[in-house]
Amino acid sequence: MSWLGSIIPLDHLGHYIHWHVILISVGNLVVIGLMVVTFIAALLLPFPGRGGRKASK
Amino acid sequence: MSKKAFRPDVDAPTWRGGHSPYDIIKEGTIALVVVGVLTVLLSVFFGSPDEAAVTVKKWANANPIDFATTAANELNGTSLTAGYGPPYNHAAIGQKLGPLSLAKWAGVRIPINPVSDFVIKPLESMPSQPVLQQNLAMWSSASSSTQSGWVTDYVKAVPKMTFVNGHVVVPTTNAGPVSVLVDNLTQMARSGALDQALVTGGGYYTTDYTKPLLFLADGTYLAGLAANQHLTGTQWGMMNETGQYPGQAWLWLYTFWYQIRPYSASTNADVLVWGTMMALSAVLLFLPLIPGLRAIPRKVKVYRLIWREHYQQ
Repeated sequence: MSWLGSIIPLDHLGHYIHWHVILISVGNLVVIGLMVVTFIAALLLPFPGRGGRKASK
Repeated sequence: MSKKAFRPDVDAPTWRGGHSPYDIIKEGTIALVVVGVLTVLLSVFFGSPDEAAVTVKKWANANPIDFATTAANELNGTSLTAGYGPPYNHAAIGQKLGPLSLAKWAGVRIPINPVSDFVIKPLESMPSQPVLQQNLAMWSSASSSTQSGWVTDYVKAVPKMTFVNGHVVVPTTNAGPVSVLVDNLTQMARSGALDQALVTGGGYYTTDYTKPLLFLADGTYLAGLAANQHLTGTQWGMMNETGQYPGQAWLWLYTFWYQIRPYSASTNADVLVWGTMMALSAVLLFLPLIPGLRAIPRKVKVYRLIWREHYQQ
């Protein structure tokens, strides 16, 4: 089963972005970007099943 | 009866509109299944970080000169561990926050004598080594000033150290048994026996790697590997992972302080960063009680975006 983990191997040296005092790996940047996208999507996308719910007093 | 004034950033008006049913079990199950499937798929495609452990054996085989130099520094009392202070020894006050000597107050809870724990005791555990036993006896019977003189002579010659035919060679004139001790410790380390001697000190089933880790950290080999993988403190290492894997991105604020002054230039950076994070955590914890800060959600009005259908009506 060890071949599975090597479909897209990530165990060689990482790439880093260096800007002034900031030093961040591309892996972390991708994860942070996905979190921001998820947050914005959670704000903007309509609530699922909105039509099926009925408000009751 | 007098009515209390409505405070907009503290009080919430009573909801008098309709209510919708909400199935938290259904929602939780969906979240669990989605996260579970994502975890399996990501691990199938990308694997997981599986860097082999760095051992003293690896270090001594990869760079015997660095290992032998570090061993000499341990004997000389000039290694990082030897001068660290609490919790390992009394050589320094340790981390302090202004006038508060926090590390000193916590005390020496893991006493480590580098000369004895890293060099002499492991060598004493080596069986059937008559030459080594003679030199160990010579070391033990000498006064501390004589030992110090031998080590000083050896350390002076360390820059000319070479590694020839599997042995550490140092051109010393009056180093007594130190040359034999350091060479034997290097042989022991290269065979893997030193890892065993340093780790198994606490019992049969032990997971206490304090001693081999401190010894490794005193040399330059481990630091070089860490720097190569961007794992050191000055490289935001706390939030990085080996290879190309994403790391602990949520530790960005903790490791950020280490990159800027005065933290980056302070010998008490660890406790200063800890103190800063504790103060910020307290602000977060008591946010509902802090005027101004607690009004931010009301003034930013993100809630109007989330519940836009309601506010459109």
